[in-house]
Amino acid sequence: MEPMIEEAELSRAGAPTDPMASPKADQEKKVDTRRKSPTQIAFARLRKDRVAVICASIFGFFVLIAIFAPLLAKLEGQDPTTLHQDLIDQYGYPTIPPNGEHWFGVEPRLGRDLFARFVYGARPSLIVAGTVTILTTIIGVTIGLLAGFVGGWLDRIVSWVIDFVLSLPYLLFAIAVPAVLLTIFVGTSENAAAQDVANARFFSLIIVLSFFGWASLARLIRGEVLSLREREFISAAKVLGVPTRKILFKELLPNLVAPIVISVSMALPSYIVVEAGLTYLGVGLTEPTPSWGLTIAAAQNYYRADPLYLWIPVLAITILVLSLSLLGDSIRDAFDPRTRR
Amino acid sequence: MLLYILKRVLSAISVVIVTLVASFALFFLAPTDPAGVICGPRCTPERLADIEASLDLNEPPINQIGAYMKGIVVGREYSSGGTVRECAAPCLGYSYTLGQPVTKLLGAALPVTISIVLGGAVVYLVVGILTGTIAAQVRGTSLDKLVVGSTLVVQSIPYFVFALLVALYATFLPDSGYHPFTDNPLTWASGLLAAWLCVGLTNAAAYTRYSRASMIEALGQDFVRTASSKGISRRRVVYRHGLRAGLTPVVTIFGIDLAFQLTGAIFTESIFNLPGLGQLTLRAFGQYDLPVLMGGVLIGSVVLVVMNLVVDIAYTFLDPRVRLG
Repeated sequence: MEPMIEEAELSRAGAPTDPMASPKADQEKKVDTRRKSPTQIAFARLRKDRVAVICASIFGFFVLIAIFAPLLAKLEGQDPTTLHQDLIDQYGYPTIPPNGEHWFGVEPRLGRDLFARFVYGARPSLIVAGTVTILTTIIGVTIGLLAGFVGGWLDRIVSWVIDFVLSLPYLLFAIAVPAVLLTIFVGTSENAAAQDVANARFFSLIIVLSFFGWASLARLIRGEVLSLREREFISAAKVLGVPTRKILFKELLPNLVAPIVISVSMALPSYIVVEAGLTYLGVGLTEPTPSWGLTIAAAQNYYRADPLYLWIPVLAITILVLSLSLLGDSIRDAFDPRTRR
Repeated sequence: MLLYILKRVLSAISVVIVTLVASFALFFLAPTDPAGVICGPRCTPERLADIEASLDLNEPPINQIGAYMKGIVVGREYSSGGTVRECAAPCLGYSYTLGQPVTKLLGAALPVTISIVLGGAVVYLVVGILTGTIAAQVRGTSLDKLVVGSTLVVQSIPYFVFALLVALYATFLPDSGYHPFTDNPLTWASGLLAAWLCVGLTNAAAYTRYSRASMIEALGQDFVRTASSKGISRRRVVYRHGLRAGLTPVVTIFGIDLAFQLTGAIFTESIFNLPGLGQLTLRAFGQYDLPVLMGGVLIGSVVLVVMNLVVDIAYTFLDPRVRLG
């Protein structure tokens, strides 16, 4: 179980130094000591941290945008795929500025509505990053727990695999592997449907990022378990005959909440960046999926003629990642008392 | 000590071999149809069969990988359409689309990547360590808080966005492009300046934090107090005594970072249009050039493994507390 920590909610200054001296006063002014788990203490600290609260609300705002993307696009009266060729001049530049009908204007060349592409673009970023974070956390924690607790040959094999995965050039693989996965999913035929290719790209991105993401967390968890498993409460559980599965998930796991939460909060923004970056390079998601990375890649050619086209996704992704990183930093400070400033 | 080094070398070799076999299986044994890619859309069955024979695609997988391994050690020959092309050791195959040996392409790309990474490293080491050391000395003041806050912000900006904005808007910097150092060091430097600043400034944030933390620790040690009490000037205490002790952890992080940057300079290369390892791989992705992809991944793994090995061994010399097996 997660260890309970006595924390005085009220200041102890008013409490008598010698409880025997004035038992009456002690009854009247009882010190409220509640038993709290470290996680509860950490969340209490987070709620008091102004930066964390602001950053969490910004993140929540983007999540709401992603969830209600269809509703927001309907509110504007547009959708992310309709081509408005009538609003594009013969050189490919939009003829209209942002207005009541097209809140962020239209895309050069194709004339798709930019506000709709913006709100729908929040989705793949958050879905890919969220899925990869969840997958890598589950895989990393399970493997780390098993390797650390069981030990022996299993630990040796797992440690070698972790070292192996961590010593692969992961960006190069992230480019090379989707090329192969693509042919497995949709074949090499030139006339594969654009939607099929886009779906295959989506899944291969998740697979590749997950494959490379679990190892560092697994190493961290393994190290923690190695020291925890020598502690008395684990020996006690073993002596009592608690089944291994219960020791792993009921005894060990609650003690690993802090490193796991910290790792999740650091992983999420980094995967958002990786997804957008790979998509920007043309090896991540692809049309017709609306994605900020794709918009930035297309907009860099119009940065003088149509700065808004470039700056909206650039600012969106920067603000999202910045707030998530600062939130992650606050979470680390809240969960790890040693790093408090 | 010798045993430890031997063990690390053996494990490094095992990693490289497994990478080689695994990526070969992934790239060449998956249903990928490389012959069709080389042949192009208007392909006759005879020509397809000829290409397949020249790539040994009809052979069983174990022979294919055997031929590839043999090519790395002693070189091999490719015959296509009657002509025989010699591929000297270490042979990583021929590019499907460029008609050149992969080793030659990699040999041309690596100096570009190394130039970017090393130049950037100079910038971030100088900026980062200096800022970190200064911040450590004024710890707790508003200047220190400003430094720590801005490193947090700089670190959180997505790198490709930062580099892209620099490439688009910092037009006062000289045009970027790669000119070999041996031709003219000056044009080499000016063509890489923008990339160096990008790599340098974004990474400087991390190094500021590392060196600030380790300098705070070093300056709190007894020997620093002793040095101060002997009457040595503040500057000398900080930069001679403190910095030397404080830099050891930073050096270790630097070694690992350097390896990752060598294999991950893709964004810099693509945004500043520098023909390095990342851009070679990226082009190979677009054209489905499997031998180049494979070669890029392999050389990246070797660089990473070797750098990790060097860091590990150097660390045992730098820090006497690390004594393994």
